[in-house]
Amino acid sequence: MHRRVSAALAASVALACTATACGGDGGTASTPAAKIAGPGSGTGKTLTVWYMDGDLSDAAVKAINTEFTKATGASVKVQIQEWDDINTKITTALAQNDPPDVLEIGNTDVPLFAAAGGLSDISAVQKTMAQGQTWLPGLVGPATVGGRLYAAPLFAAERAVVYNKKIWSKAGVTKPPATFAEFTADLDKIKAANPAPDFSAFYMPGQYWFGGVQFVWDAGGELATKNGDKWTGALESPQAQRGLAAWKQFQNTYSTPASRNLFNLTPDYNAVFAQEKTAAILNTSVNSILKIKPSLKGQLGTFPLPGADAGTTQPVFLGGSDLGVAAKSPNRALALAYLKAATSTAVQTSAIAGIDGWTPVSSQLIDQTAGSRPELFKAFSFAAKRSVATPASPGWATIESDKSLQAFFGDISTGKTPIADAAKSFDQHLNQALNASQ
Amino acid sequence: MVRRVRPARVALNTGAVLFCAVWMFPVYWMVNTALKPTGDTLSPTPKFLPFPMSLANFADAVRKPHFADYLVNSVIVTGVVVTLSVVVAFLAATALTRFRFFGRRGFLIGIMVIQMIPGPALLIPLFLSMKSLNMLDTLIGLIVTYSAFVLPLTIWVMRGFLHGVPVELEEAAMVDGASRFTVIRKVLLPLVMPGIIAASVFSFIVAWNDYIYAYVMMKDQSRYTLPVWLASFSTNIGTDYGGLIAGSTLFALPIVVFFMLIQRRLVVGMTAGAVKG
Amino acid sequence: METLAARATVVPEAAAPRARRRRSALPYVLLAPAALVLALVIGYPLVRLVLISFQDYGLRALFSGRTRWTGFANYTAVLHGDEIVPMLVRTALVCVAMAGGTLVIGTGVALAMRALGRRMRTLVTFCLIAAWAVPNVAATMLWTWLFQPTYGVVNWLLRLGQYDWTAHTVSALLLVWLLVVWQSVPFVALTLYAGLSQIPGDYYEAAALDGAGYWTRFRVITVPFLRPILLLVTVLSVIWDFNVFNQIWLLTGGGPDGGTTTLVVWSFRRAFASQSYGQGAAIAVLATALLTALTSYYVRRLVRAGEAW
Repeated sequence: MHRRVSAALAASVALACTATACGGDGGTASTPAAKIAGPGSGTGKTLTVWYMDGDLSDAAVKAINTEFTKATGASVKVQIQEWDDINTKITTALAQNDPPDVLEIGNTDVPLFAAAGGLSDISAVQKTMAQGQTWLPGLVGPATVGGRLYAAPLFAAERAVVYNKKIWSKAGVTKPPATFAEFTADLDKIKAANPAPDFSAFYMPGQYWFGGVQFVWDAGGELATKNGDKWTGALESPQAQRGLAAWKQFQNTYSTPASRNLFNLTPDYNAVFAQEKTAAILNTSVNSILKIKPSLKGQLGTFPLPGADAGTTQPVFLGGSDLGVAAKSPNRALALAYLKAATSTAVQTSAIAGIDGWTPVSSQLIDQTAGSRPELFKAFSFAAKRSVATPASPGWATIESDKSLQAFFGDISTGKTPIADAAKSFDQHLNQALNASQ
Repeated sequence: MVRRVRPARVALNTGAVLFCAVWMFPVYWMVNTALKPTGDTLSPTPKFLPFPMSLANFADAVRKPHFADYLVNSVIVTGVVVTLSVVVAFLAATALTRFRFFGRRGFLIGIMVIQMIPGPALLIPLFLSMKSLNMLDTLIGLIVTYSAFVLPLTIWVMRGFLHGVPVELEEAAMVDGASRFTVIRKVLLPLVMPGIIAASVFSFIVAWNDYIYAYVMMKDQSRYTLPVWLASFSTNIGTDYGGLIAGSTLFALPIVVFFMLIQRRLVVGMTAGAVKG
Repeated sequence: METLAARATVVPEAAAPRARRRRSALPYVLLAPAALVLALVIGYPLVRLVLISFQDYGLRALFSGRTRWTGFANYTAVLHGDEIVPMLVRTALVCVAMAGGTLVIGTGVALAMRALGRRMRTLVTFCLIAAWAVPNVAATMLWTWLFQPTYGVVNWLLRLGQYDWTAHTVSALLLVWLLVVWQSVPFVALTLYAGLSQIPGDYYEAAALDGAGYWTRFRVITVPFLRPILLLVTVLSVIWDFNVFNQIWLLTGGGPDGGTTTLVVWSFRRAFASQSYGQGAAIAVLATALLTALTSYYVRRLVRAGEAW
């Protein structure tokens, strides 16, 4: 005991030095990872991989692991991480000398870690891994910093309208709408047929920014534009203003007044839908609904949200995850082999799209799987074709984690702040956050 | 004290019942919700009784992966933190109230100022320190961290209670021939017991409830504590509300049991008889 | 000993301990374990925190271990902003309201517990502990649920229709206030009750023999005896309520339109959400300094309280 204490004291004295920047843990910018481990090279080794809770099913993860083990002989240790405070968790993990080898990171958060040197540069192996396919820009764009690639795509998730066919047909609507005008006319009918005060023709919580940005993009607006190295918030533009007004109109008309300042998790919009308190929601999947109420299966339908211009659909936010390799990982060749296994056509087709119903990572794969995907998932594939990514700046993680984006749409929906004022102050916030140095 | 005045007594009891009703209501609602089947949670007219009752939420919560590991870790960490902090704080408070020495006031002010630092600010520096001390990913690191968090308060609270004990009592006992240890055990401890209990409940709750330090400092999944399990009910694709509420109910239970157990000793320890020795 | 206790009646100041005056190493030995743990886990990180506040310390520095000194840049960046004054005023008001509410209710409950019969007292203790036991995250979740506009039981009980508590500044503040007070009263009430229970019954008996009424006994015995502990929980409540974060963050996110953004929420937005640890550290240093200055009078009184030398 005594020895441990004095050792600890000695260590803390030594540390005062690190804090004053006169030393450190050998942290020069890591060299790019270029070599993919070959067959048998990993025998006896174990790769640690972090996945996020709730994203991939156990079966899908197993499929990736099997593919990887087949290719290298190494085994995999999977650890599931929770969402709460995940950026802090990843930050501190990457700062350790023995980080996990491979990490699943939400696509919009990748720039944060890539720009700061936490992830390995994997540009050298992009061609080998992609095998001639075009990875979705929404997944690869944020992972590209200064022209270098720092993560490989794992899966994509887009939003489409999920609706309850029974409620729709009871209101006299029997087929999904083709235009925005038809869409609102249908919702008007459903609204008239269901007067209960807690019923929403379309449940769209006011802080649900994933819905809000679609209206902005559909009106030709942008969240921010990049000029050279500098980002500028663009919500004050007339197009964005029009989109925001359309959003407010839609939200206020078809969702309950009580939902104007809510995010989609309290209550969980899947539960609202499953308990038939709404006829439609905008979601990335039908799985969560079916998990709550499996009996709804025959009643569900999906379609992409129609755009304001006839014949178009609204551009959607492209969500999803990437896999990154920790810069300090001692097993980087194996880690690259893992990325290769996860992005391989076989795994993407059978596991990512087949088992979990997520959208695969390249446009070719989307086309290939479109035919074989269950009818219910087709709307998501379709939506993927018109997907948009959020600004590829490390500062974007700030915008998502400081709740300002939620508050921005919430304050517009409730009418607490006039649209022009909200846009002005949010643009200022974007200017500051997106251009902040790391 | 007001035992003779009947109307005052009635008013007092009524007030107490009212207070209990208000303070208990959220807890009652938590248990009520946890016992409802998932489909009953979204009802515009609230259901005040959980019928039909369902234990499915509890079963789902307990069946989550790693529940048993986390429970064991939580019990170890909390148990050690409570014991350690009470002993260490008692020693420190004795020094602070029974002796006069250089640095005494400075120490007291210092540990008060520590409590003023905003929580999020300390996370990264503390993480870096634990990293340098090689205490990351160990339960010892977590135990030391929580102990340090609760010590300022426990020392202050125990100091307050030790001040209330007249030194004359100890001196008289010493004169009666009691050893120092006996004095502490027979005279001091019973009198300070209420303070010890207040401090240990506080330590228990801090160690039992912390999420962020457990999450950041532990790396291997098997070393997390129960709050990480509680966090697993909310993911990016939805919140399992029934599971979270049932989990919270189970999670709160040990604290209630712990306190109700030691609370009896609180009553024993503070009767006037103990003062008279 | 009976006589001793009786002799020490009514004037608690006289009952305060007399310190042993002789110089010895014993107090340092007794203090050593606490000092060691605090120095390792708080002291050293604290030094580091102050150093970081003068550095450009973000993710890159954390990953690479290389930092750059920036002088007071973090401090000027933090203090540069027109929102700071109204926000400080809001923080102070919210803090005073929370701490005040907690103390008034907590003291009332503690006094009532002393007067209640055993069974009733156990019931009150049980309720306090049950409320205290609910973990922070769950309590906050529970609150959003209780006050949920459409399905919340509170709106139903109060016949408020689909009123959204988070959409209006005043009701959003009330929402947070209710939660914080609900969570903080148990600690205050139980600690004060523990303090009350330490007062020897003889004092009251002796005073009653002298013909003192309830209020006189309250004023002459209860108040002076309780003062150090009351002062302690007051200072602690002020400190904790000044730093309330999770409850506000999870209930209102600082909204609507910044209406519930206090200093800590603001600093989280400003620095921690963007992993700018340098600025975060600067804010922490400033906030701690501010709080120290505001409470210094009481902390000094607290240190002196009960000391008879």
